[in-house]
Amino acid sequence: MLLSAISLNGPAKYLNWGAISLSIPNLIMIALIVLLFVLALAIPFPTHKGK
Amino acid sequence: MSIERNVDLMKWSGPKRPYDLVKEFVIALVVVTVLVGACAAIFSSPDERAITLQDWAKKAPADFVATTNGELAGTTISASYGPPYNSAGEGLQIGPLKIQKWAGVTTPVNPATDFVINPLQLSTDLSIPASLQMWKAASLEEQTTWANNYASAIGKAGDYSKVVPDNSFGPVPSITSGLLAMAQGGQLDGILTTAVSPFPSDFTMPMLFIADGTYFDDLGAAQHLHGDQWGMMNETGSYPGQSWLWLFSSMYQFEPFKSSENADPQIFAVLMLLTLGFIFLPKIPLINRLPRLIPFHRLIWRRYYRENNL
Repeated sequence: MLLSAISLNGPAKYLNWGAISLSIPNLIMIALIVLLFVLALAIPFPTHKGK
Repeated sequence: MSIERNVDLMKWSGPKRPYDLVKEFVIALVVVTVLVGACAAIFSSPDERAITLQDWAKKAPADFVATTNGELAGTTISASYGPPYNSAGEGLQIGPLKIQKWAGVTTPVNPATDFVINPLQLSTDLSIPASLQMWKAASLEEQTTWANNYASAIGKAGDYSKVVPDNSFGPVPSITSGLLAMAQGGQLDGILTTAVSPFPSDFTMPMLFIADGTYFDDLGAAQHLHGDQWGMMNETGSYPGQSWLWLFSSMYQFEPFKSSENADPQIFAVLMLLTLGFIFLPKIPLINRLPRLIPFHRLIWRRYYRENNL
């Protein structure tokens, strides 16, 4: 049985601001989603030669 | 409204450009497949071992016995839930709409009989048949009194093992201890998972039983999986969860939903209303003018607007 290179089965850390509680793994995913969104906006579409 | 309709019917006279949708789809499929494969190889997936009745009985016997007694007394969540399990309560409702009552009792569950009495009939403990006979011969009032007396004694002593035997408990201590032994031996898991269907694939009975105790609840709280812990967004261990459920999850953190016993259907109803709002967004006054006030689309399509001097 192959073992994963990084085990994520340990307990996660949580950030708490008042009523908001967010796990670090979720925060990382949200940051990645926002980053991808910004990149999608910033990176221009490939030029279409057939235009 | 009529102007919008005309725009929909008008033939496009602006600039056009070729777009290979199939190529984009294939590229996206390959990239996502490689990413999923790589992430699965590197991080694997959540591997939380299933929690059994045997685990519960071995690790928290006091909670198991107290919960078993609660089933006999009819004071647990499942005993008083109502539809779809029984008629002891109203079930979930949205305001005056008793939605679960409309559907009726579709999965009949009598916790005292299904979780405790019926499984014990398969016990090999020689003292159990007499205890069961005494229980069955008693009136409902007597049964409830025995179970309530035992619950009070457990409450005072702090643990079933410290309770001094007393006739006012009837056969309840024998019944609860007998079921504890069956659960610790693993037999109860097999009996309850095959209670609904002959194959051990229906976990309704063991899930309802274990959820009536505090052991399972505490394990969920430790993993931040409770509704009031944004649990809908969380995953076990350090895996990212369902962060896209932030809106659903956020509602459970605030009143009036936070303390509502009907938070699930109420929040579902609110989200359905918001979804209707999304569907009819082009028809909602002011909201349908937001793109004019906040022209975010011009940023996305900036080249088009720039090249066409729009």
